[in-house]
Amino acid sequence: MVRTPATRWATAAAAAALALAGLTACSSDDGGSAVPGGGPAGGKEDLAAAAPVAASLPAGSTMEKIKKRGELIVGGSLDAPLLSQQNPATKQVEGLDADFGRLLAKYIIGKPNVKIVNSASETREALLSNGTVDVVFQTYSITPERAKQVAFAGPYYSSGLVIATKKGETGIATPADLKGKTVIAGANTPAIPAIKKAAPDAKIVTFGSDPECVQALKQGRGQAYVQDEALLLATAKQDPTIQIQGKPFTSDPYGIGLKHGDAQMKTFVNDWLKQIQASGLWAKTWKNSIGTVVQGEAPQPPALGSAPGSE
Amino acid sequence: MNVITDHLPEFGSGLLLTVELTLLSLAGALVAGIVVAAMRVSPVGVLRAAGMAYVETLQNIPLLVWLVLAVFGLPEIGVKAGLFTTAVVVISLYQGAYTAEAVRSGINAVPAGQGEAARALGLTFTQSLRLVILPQALRTVVQPLGNIAIMTLMNTALAAAVGVVELTAAANRVNLAEAQPIWIFVAAGLAYMALSGVVGLATGTLERKLAILR
Repeated sequence: MVRTPATRWATAAAAAALALAGLTACSSDDGGSAVPGGGPAGGKEDLAAAAPVAASLPAGSTMEKIKKRGELIVGGSLDAPLLSQQNPATKQVEGLDADFGRLLAKYIIGKPNVKIVNSASETREALLSNGTVDVVFQTYSITPERAKQVAFAGPYYSSGLVIATKKGETGIATPADLKGKTVIAGANTPAIPAIKKAAPDAKIVTFGSDPECVQALKQGRGQAYVQDEALLLATAKQDPTIQIQGKPFTSDPYGIGLKHGDAQMKTFVNDWLKQIQASGLWAKTWKNSIGTVVQGEAPQPPALGSAPGSE
Repeated sequence: MNVITDHLPEFGSGLLLTVELTLLSLAGALVAGIVVAAMRVSPVGVLRAAGMAYVETLQNIPLLVWLVLAVFGLPEIGVKAGLFTTAVVVISLYQGAYTAEAVRSGINAVPAGQGEAARALGLTFTQSLRLVILPQALRTVVQPLGNIAIMTLMNTALAAAVGVVELTAAANRVNLAEAQPIWIFVAAGLAYMALSGVVGLATGTLERKLAILR
């Protein structure tokens, strides 16, 4: 095909518009077909209807205050596909983290009333310690460093990082193959320390959002892109030019961030997790979001308190 | 405070990159600014229009949008440069628009008699601009140019959004590992303050040396 300068500029503008859309947290969308987990399969089932409600709340506890207020304030994202992403058509926030937030609200208040405060990895600890948010559901990896400032209930989900490359790329199959390569990662994701650990001399290039990282990989700004497995599976499913290499090479236990020192609430939330895991609601929630792109049955949830920092 | 001392190499390389970005962009902005300002005061209508179009286009679209356009859009039409190079070029051109306006105000401040005298001596437009007008104009706008230099320094933080690991991006990465945002960003902020303090001092010194009292 002969491309005239006009169409080339149009392509460039379209590509940039795509990247911008990602940058501005997906301000426009065609209703979900481009959003993994945001399609008709995701977010439809009313998980909250069958969700349990706590029999009683300890007097004077944080939970009682939340119930009095009538809504649970959650620190989370609005732009994380499959995990916590606002559907621009319905304004509903969909995904695994968003669903768990609603279920916890139902457990405390009796109704799935949630207010999401858009938080970032720079602000989560501060938002919890000054009481702006009650809990954080935001792919919050449990680490001993963070556990000094916040309390972690859970882990409620365990994820892992995988490597994606352009289709047909050979020679990058394991993390050790990243040695000396330029590797793309999302800014403020656990991928950065993981790459440093696996291949200390790899050059890491970071971009703000997943669509930008994918675009950068396709344009050859790096040979590989390291990101959460579920997210990359969704991307690779839509984009045949992207290929996933190998299996996850890390294990990231996600915890529910709570105010540091609130042992009562931590026990309460862990009890709730135990209940929804036993009743099968956990698996249903997984099926509702990540299960829409990952084949097979829901995985075994990680054991509570198993991650260093969540004991 | 340990979070800062433990990560001095990261902060150091980020700071270095911020300084490099600022200095290279400033040099570029000064060149672009003087060229565009000369176009805007030239006797050729097409050049004046082009200069005005440049300033209006660059100033009326946010720098972040320009950066994203250049980094993700240009490769689609086969123009691909490194991230650092792209950031330098984009910030230069963007700050160049502001520099052009500052320089133009300096040119307008030079008394009309100076230009008329230069033409009367038989100097061409370029000669009178280069030898008579611009030297006086630039002396008048030392302080505005200093402000643009500080603005350029602050704007380099936007390069973090397109993968350049300057001071802000470095602080973000350290915070990811340490989860101590207050200390880490206060440290980054102090580093920016120190840098802009240096720029401010340099501007003040230059101004005292060069300013023309009228």
